[in-house]
Amino acid sequence: MKDTLNFLIEVGKLKKIKRRGWVLRGIKDPETIAAHTFRMALMAWILCCRKKLNSNKIIKMSLIHDLCEVCAGDTTPYDKILPEDKKQWGKIVNKWPRLSKKQKEEFFREKYEKEKRGLEKLILKLPDSLKKEIRELWNDYEKGLTHEGRFVKQLDRVENLLQALEYWKKEKNFAINPWWVQVEELIDDPILLNFMKILEEKFHNKK
Amino acid sequence: MADEKKFYLTKEGLAKIEKEFNDLKILKLAKINGESPKILHSEDLNQEYLSFQEDLSFMESRLTELEYILKNAELIKTPAKNQRNTVGLGATVLVDVEGQKDEFTLVGSLEANPVLGKISNESPVGSALLGHKKGDAVIISSPIKTKYKIKKIDYGTA
Repeated sequence: MKDTLNFLIEVGKLKKIKRRGWVLRGIKDPETIAAHTFRMALMAWILCCRKKLNSNKIIKMSLIHDLCEVCAGDTTPYDKILPEDKKQWGKIVNKWPRLSKKQKEEFFREKYEKEKRGLEKLILKLPDSLKKEIRELWNDYEKGLTHEGRFVKQLDRVENLLQALEYWKKEKNFAINPWWVQVEELIDDPILLNFMKILEEKFHNKK
Repeated sequence: MADEKKFYLTKEGLAKIEKEFNDLKILKLAKINGESPKILHSEDLNQEYLSFQEDLSFMESRLTELEYILKNAELIKTPAKNQRNTVGLGATVLVDVEGQKDEFTLVGSLEANPVLGKISNESPVGSALLGHKKGDAVIISSPIKTKYKIKKIDYGTA
């Protein structure tokens, strides 16, 4: 039980770690990783009811999907292309980053390896059955092994879009384009595509 | 279980699923018989199989999923020469987006991974590009109306 408590204390740090994407854009008091996970888990539960998906599995998957970031940190696709001069960051983060094939593969591989190591370190002393379950859920999420894994992977980006739209409404210089570009290239789940239409109507006043 | 639908797969994607299915069948049988199969000592062993070995129910669930996919799989084939100037499943498309170049391969949902340049034929961008030719400028139906100008279409080796 002591190891479980230590795990929970470590995980609690996500309540304070700000999401890097918002930090890069200079958002004041940005959302934390835990806050993102909270709403994403709720969205998973509510939206999966419309599909024949294992709700227990997708809620758990949502809850654990970013746990690795306690040890691995938050990563964005901009990390490798941002110059040292922070004054130039605004121009770069206002567009969706276009990486070469080699850069994409490198980014994907490095992120996966770093996060896998982070997760293993975090769950090392948990009871075997729990450790295995978290590891399998994360692997499913990362690799899209099942319908649930693919749904949660896409849901992560849609929750991200919702948060971005909320900031766009509040902050003068926030560019919303990269968030829409990302989901338009990623999302193919019909429920989430429909949800995106509702977001468009709500935030872009489309009737 | 997944909704009833077709799973469009590339040759490599289908081979990967078939291999995983066959490997897991061997592991399952070995697990039931209390044996240690040769596959566990293979150099190209998928390390994740090690966790499957300990949990039969997870292995069976994965086998059921794979069986369903294989039953409903459709191979993405290279189109006839006179159709290769049009974007279809399997095409690698070089585009110009907001002054930047990018490259996507259109695949089915199972293999889609935009981080690696593979986009789903059912995503807004994937479905918008389908049927278009080199030189076409495709505007995605969305609040920001991003324009993707098709610079090149390639289906790999004939």
